[in-house]
Amino acid sequence: MEYLSTDKILVIDLNTAEVEEEELSEALVEEHIGGIGMTSYLYDKYKADDPIVIGTGLLAGTTYPASASAQITAKSPVTGKISHCPVIYKLGVEIKYSGFDYIVVKGSSPSPVYLWIHDGVADISDAADIWGKGVWESTDALRKFVGDDLLQTMMIGPAGENGSDYAQVCYNYWSSPDRFGFGKLFGAKNLKGFAFRGMGLIEVAEPEAYVERSLEILKQVKENGFLEKKGIAPILEALGHEGVAQWMGPVTHRHSADYFTPYATNTALFLDEDPGLLKESDNDEPGVIVSDILALVEFKNLGLSALDTGRVLKACAKYGIDPFAVARLCGKTSVEEITASFDAISGEIAIPGSGMFTPWCPTTPIFNDFDLSDSNEIMAWWERRQAVAMIFGIHPIFSLMCPELTEENMLELASLGTGLELTQETLDKVIDTIPG
Amino acid sequence: MGININALKCTNCMACEMVCSYHRDDGFAFLSACIVAYRAKEKKDYFGMLLKEEDVLIVARPEGVEINKIGEEADPDKKADASAKPMLLREGCDLCEEMDDYGPMCIAFCPVDAITLD
Repeated sequence: MEYLSTDKILVIDLNTAEVEEEELSEALVEEHIGGIGMTSYLYDKYKADDPIVIGTGLLAGTTYPASASAQITAKSPVTGKISHCPVIYKLGVEIKYSGFDYIVVKGSSPSPVYLWIHDGVADISDAADIWGKGVWESTDALRKFVGDDLLQTMMIGPAGENGSDYAQVCYNYWSSPDRFGFGKLFGAKNLKGFAFRGMGLIEVAEPEAYVERSLEILKQVKENGFLEKKGIAPILEALGHEGVAQWMGPVTHRHSADYFTPYATNTALFLDEDPGLLKESDNDEPGVIVSDILALVEFKNLGLSALDTGRVLKACAKYGIDPFAVARLCGKTSVEEITASFDAISGEIAIPGSGMFTPWCPTTPIFNDFDLSDSNEIMAWWERRQAVAMIFGIHPIFSLMCPELTEENMLELASLGTGLELTQETLDKVIDTIPG
Repeated sequence: MGININALKCTNCMACEMVCSYHRDDGFAFLSACIVAYRAKEKKDYFGMLLKEEDVLIVARPEGVEINKIGEEADPDKKADASAKPMLLREGCDLCEEMDDYGPMCIAFCPVDAITLD
């Protein structure tokens, strides 16, 4: 596969420490498109080895608006279902530029390891020095070891190593959309995580037309008024959680966006620094970046201040545990009690619909109504919208905001980018075959 | 005429970096961009932009814009930043002179209008 692709599928066997590469053929793309279309196919191909499959969306890392996402596909140790977790921030794009579109991890390692994927090379590395350490400490250690502050990581912390049902795979330093206990799965495989870095080049079949259409679509997006807003508080207010902006105000620092995503879906809370500071903090760890809007509001509903909520979210990210599950299941109301309860978290979190998409993503349209009203219609739309976003690599929350990102123009760009004829019929078929 | 950067509007999405590199490489990459999203201080949520022009390196940070003449001796009291070195090796901004339909691509693609033309 020459275009919009690195042309490579990486297959790592943790049992034998063998690393193989497979070609990503045009025929596979014509049949499965990309993202979870392809990771579902690869999961099925290797399912006897209980694989973790990581994949990038077909448009990920390009000029298509919000083309930020990769995905993890695996069987949830909590629900027993094949599930798909978006990979956000700048990490999804780094995976693609590190040299592989898809990575299959089979089996379990006899001792703790991490996978170092860089510029088309994959190393199975000894994780003895970071096993037992928190997510932040592990990411710091790997960045220092490689000598690159832009190294992107996907890591578990003590929760995953200890087998917690709500252990989360975290991204760099931050909580992730993982509500499936994938952290527990990583831990059971003695897999501490991944480090990615790459300087690759992705070629495009018709580059001028691809970029021109991308800009036309971006201009349409910018005409939609919601881009005047920034950060997580307006999203929560739009979802009916009133007073969030006022509650968060005393600790809100800045808002940031995932790769090429027009709306800033992340908000930094400064906990041990002046939130209004407009220079580099002298404090190495002044706060926490929040993308998990529903976890945040769960702690608000427990009666915590925004400052205490930030402290708990930071502790969850370091320990590698799903903050939403902690808020919903801990039964505590103080920072000290909540953080002391991490190892005891148990119970069930409802996963909506077919159970294959994460409720980290709100299950309703945001800012725009998409001409939907009936709740059944909204759930069907949400599942399809999530599937489409994760086939093409579009930020899954942004896709709920932005009607200008259509299946039609994603297919158009996919065809311009690959030189293949990818049709609505193909997309419908891929969605129908994604397991849930 | 030159590029004007408002680091307080920037959301660190890297759109500028991607399209600048596209302008150089006719493909998608990050390696050739003369404008980059500065993101090395992630835990501090400290970000902005770096722009290499022919003779100067422009550092746009939340506290303001600093223009450093390339080739001048660095201030010994300032802590060096490893990200500056690869920037100095890149070609300077040419305002996308060959991209007649767009003008500077970083301006056209910035979703929050943090980059404008002076």
